Amino acid sequence: MRLDYGHDRWMGSPQLPEPRATGSERSPRQTERAGEMNIAVIVERDDNGEFLIRELQRMRANVKHLWPVPAQIPLQFDAIFCALSKDLPQRIPWVPGEPSSALIVVDDGKEPLNLKLIHNCAAHGLLHYPATSRMIQSVLMLAREHFQYERRLRSRIEKLDENLRTTRLVERAKVLLIRLKNLSEEEAYNFLRKQAMEKRVTIGAVASAVIDSHELLS
Amino acid sequence: MGVSGGNSRTSEPWRVGVLFSRTGFMSVIEETQLRGTLIAIDQINDNGGINGCPIEPVIYDPGSDVRSYGQYAKRLMVEDGVSTIFGCYTSSSRKAVLPVVERLDGLLWYPTLYEGFEFSPNVIYTGATPNQNSVQLCRVLMEQFGKRFFFIGSDYIYPRESNRVMRELVRNNGGTVVGERYLRLEADRSEFMPLLRDIKRAQPDVIFSTVVGESTTFLYQAYHDLGLNPKVVPIASLTTTEAEIRAMGHDVGEGHFTAASYFQGIETERNNDFVSYYHKRYGDDEPTNMCLEASYFQVNLFARTLEQTNSLDTRHLRNSVMGAEFEAPQGCVSINPVWGHADVWTRIGRANRRGQFDIVFQSQTNVTSDPYLISYGRRFELAECA
Repeated sequence: MRLDYGHDRWMGSPQLPEPRATGSERSPRQTERAGEMNIAVIVERDDNGEFLIRELQRMRANVKHLWPVPAQIPLQFDAIFCALSKDLPQRIPWVPGEPSSALIVVDDGKEPLNLKLIHNCAAHGLLHYPATSRMIQSVLMLAREHFQYERRLRSRIEKLDENLRTTRLVERAKVLLIRLKNLSEEEAYNFLRKQAMEKRVTIGAVASAVIDSHELLS
Repeated sequence: MGVSGGNSRTSEPWRVGVLFSRTGFMSVIEETQLRGTLIAIDQINDNGGINGCPIEPVIYDPGSDVRSYGQYAKRLMVEDGVSTIFGCYTSSSRKAVLPVVERLDGLLWYPTLYEGFEFSPNVIYTGATPNQNSVQLCRVLMEQFGKRFFFIGSDYIYPRESNRVMRELVRNNGGTVVGERYLRLEADRSEFMPLLRDIKRAQPDVIFSTVVGESTTFLYQAYHDLGLNPKVVPIASLTTTEAEIRAMGHDVGEGHFTAASYFQGIETERNNDFVSYYHKRYGDDEPTNMCLEASYFQVNLFARTLEQTNSLDTRHLRNSVMGAEFEAPQGCVSINPVWGHADVWTRIGRANRRGQFDIVFQSQTNVTSDPYLISYGRRFELAECA
């Protein structure tokens, strides 16, 4: 028996009164709704498992149930709930640090607590049985947030690396222009920027064209 | 709270991971890196281990397959409970291990020269980066041979990136790149002949090569077969070590240049000991090389650090190794605390008939690591060791 069965709502549900309704279904504050998600649930279909599936369906999530745990956990889900087992890390298809889904491990509490195992799953959240509706909603939201935050950080690092390369190109192009066209540093930079705006390309692309053409002509 | 590497220990061995390919097209060089790692571990264990416990390596062979490096790194950390890993030669394999050690908070010790422009709190880099090899190599080549460079490389991250740096150096000093070609990593013998003919037609003064692995042999042999003369148009490389020279044949390698922090021919007592230990173990005709030496000294640096921390906890190890010095076969090296890269020596060698390198240039001291090339001299006259 569950004390809170069926009475919570997905956080930020559109049915909740919004102080400043925008007219659209999404307020700027809600990042994501369960109703738009494909979720894999890889747990035994006992009472606890049934409850988890029902709750997710009630949040309008698109739920796919799988059992027993497949040798390789499938990709292409927004979130995966999966029963914690000793060999779970080996069944996760991605390498830690490059996940393709938010992963929430489900601990039925029957085995002794194994922190090392939980660490090795590199999951985004953990759900304990018996779960409540609140727990399911919040762990799903947090897991998705962590997953997406990690992804944003990774893409930021990629961007920074790229910017670093561009900066070096621009520096070199500037030096060439200063030398060849007798420009001041500021004029050289403005020249690159103006070209980029006129041709609707990045300043890095202009810089690299300058460098390449100099190479070609010299 | 850390979930690994606690401080209270019994006499269990210190387990560490080792990831070098003994099979596949990268095995020539990675086999020697494995040896360097194991020699260091054996010497440490013969002297009683670290704080009374031996180091126990858990070794996997990724078979020169990039994806396997990531998977074995995961296996080491997840199944074998290891957090310190020594391994990787290619940049692509390092990049495959990177997310694993970053997410699970491990520490990768990477004993290979690479293109720079990387920093990770979970990696200690002990090979040279461009300011420690390319800058001086470019200067020596321009002074002795001329300003027309032809670039060839294996088609992956490292060659393209180090050629980018080299191109910059060449151009900044009034030189030109007359050609640039890449061959796949697994390129076979037949693919090199047409390439070498193209190069001959382009008439460069220097061939700058970042071809790695087995195909290095094919490149130099094709050069030799075409009757090109290294006294006129040498191949200059950052990656051709004594190991590759041995594989291609001493007569084929003779006269070509390599920039490295270490050559077997370095005349120091420390290096003589190192070389004779290696010969005793693997045979007199087995040469040492820079990647082997880096693999060897990084395990020693790790061991010294572990002695202080008495814990394999990544954060403790990393914090303690910053600024640490070690008298390596190449000379004194230290881990630069700004970047977690090693300050290593710059040397330029020319291969001789015995398959060894005669050293034609050597820096005064070890050279401060500058992986992002922030403060290196743009022109040679400004370069640190000119």
